Amino acid sequence: MVLNIDRCVDCKACVIACKAEWNVPEGYSRDWVKEIGPVGEFPNLKSAVYPGLCMHCEDPPCIKVCPSGATYKDEKGRVLVDQELCIGCGYCADACPYGARYIHPDLGVVDKCTFCQPRVDAGLEPACVETCIAEARIFGDLDDPDSEVYRLVYKEGAVPLHRGEVNYGASVFYMGEKEQVELLLEKAPLRKTRFSTAGTVWRIFRPLLGVAAGLSFLGVTVAAIYQLIKGEPKIEE
Amino acid sequence: MQQVNIERLLKQDKPVPLSPEEKEYLRTHYLKKHDVIPKWTHWFNAAVWGFQLFTGSALINSTLFKFMPDWWINMVSELFGTRANLLKYHILVGIIWSVVLVVNYLFGIKNYTIPFIRRNFVLDRDDILWLINRGLGILGMKVELPPQGEYNAGQKLFAMVAIGGIIILIITGFIMSFHIGSAETVKWAIVFHFIAAGGVVAGLFVHIFMAAVLWEEHPSLASMITGKVNELYAYHNHFKWWKEMKKLELEVRERERKEYEEKAKEMGLLPEEENN
Repeated sequence: MVLNIDRCVDCKACVIACKAEWNVPEGYSRDWVKEIGPVGEFPNLKSAVYPGLCMHCEDPPCIKVCPSGATYKDEKGRVLVDQELCIGCGYCADACPYGARYIHPDLGVVDKCTFCQPRVDAGLEPACVETCIAEARIFGDLDDPDSEVYRLVYKEGAVPLHRGEVNYGASVFYMGEKEQVELLLEKAPLRKTRFSTAGTVWRIFRPLLGVAAGLSFLGVTVAAIYQLIKGEPKIEE
Repeated sequence: MQQVNIERLLKQDKPVPLSPEEKEYLRTHYLKKHDVIPKWTHWFNAAVWGFQLFTGSALINSTLFKFMPDWWINMVSELFGTRANLLKYHILVGIIWSVVLVVNYLFGIKNYTIPFIRRNFVLDRDDILWLINRGLGILGMKVELPPQGEYNAGQKLFAMVAIGGIIILIITGFIMSFHIGSAETVKWAIVFHFIAAGGVVAGLFVHIFMAAVLWEEHPSLASMITGKVNELYAYHNHFKWWKEMKKLELEVRERERKEYEEKAKEMGLLPEEENN
């Protein structure tokens, strides 16, 4: 998806359309439009809008931490959640630098943008794209050289929102006036990947458990081989 | 048959060298070690552990958490159709397991649960010494093992790890299955679920090896089916328990004999003079 921030008027119709389409509970949303700035000193003020959603990264940090494998990438490169497998731990939500995931308060499982998978598979456009009054959102197949998004990304220079270590191959690209895009890339709120105490405890215990189980297995294997070599008494003592 | 003086053996406080007759006596006599329901519980537990480890190991799937290779995860997932199905079976068996165990321990509280905890959740001086000496023995030193009760200190430790592990697994399993509490709670539940499972697995290797392979402990495997162990094994490996049970047995036999004699005398079946 390409987002033309020149055209975005910050009306948030995309957020409403998404909430309506997917019954997103009150107080949560799968996508957002944030204002960046104004920065600088009068009269040289700069500001930009930051419409965002799940970036459907190529190498998503959320998948790496999902214990049950509920978060996965489908064959079209979309990052999806199998809610039947999700146990609602939220490691993925902590791992996402864009904050694109939330825990559904009623279901207790993670919910997020699917690039409107069911709609797109049925030949429709995502709800946010369809509803955008300014046509700021352009959706298509980035692998198809004839597509509009291909042209915008590879010929017009639309850029993903990467900054520092947040560089996971986002599939959402931004274009517009150079100054504004630069402001967006520089100032759009990104979170450091959070790692809860529980996750840290696990990182410590994982090798310990491996060593304990490994030593135990090794020990009994050696003992069994020893018994093979030594043999048993022929008569019960 | 030559008479064996059991009293001699009962007077000692540790196993002593046995005469051939005593050995033969002990070898051919049996003591009851396990009741019927605990035996079934054991094998039910074993089956559940097999299934839950099989499905659970394939459910853990992420760079951060998994410890089984991808081919294993894929193979098990395909066996159940989808991963969601795999999870459903894991949860279903877990629920059945917890119901069976709760019923077991609740209704068996007087006969099994409390006596078991009393006897096996405490390590006495002999147990600690046993653990140290057993460790030295594994390292190749020749040291004497102090006499042990119904279960030796190693078995006691494994029982504590296994029972503690099962309790943690069931509680955290419910939290994860039904998304109980906040995301933070579920995060901790996952960590404890895996630590408990891993800890028990480490002990499980030794547990299975001891029972199934190590010839010295082999009678204990048979006892999980027959319920009985021969006294020679009990004498050497669980001396304190053997002594306790043997005394109990002698008491019961003595009481039986007295009751029989009284009844028989009442009915005039025993001539008076012979009784005197």
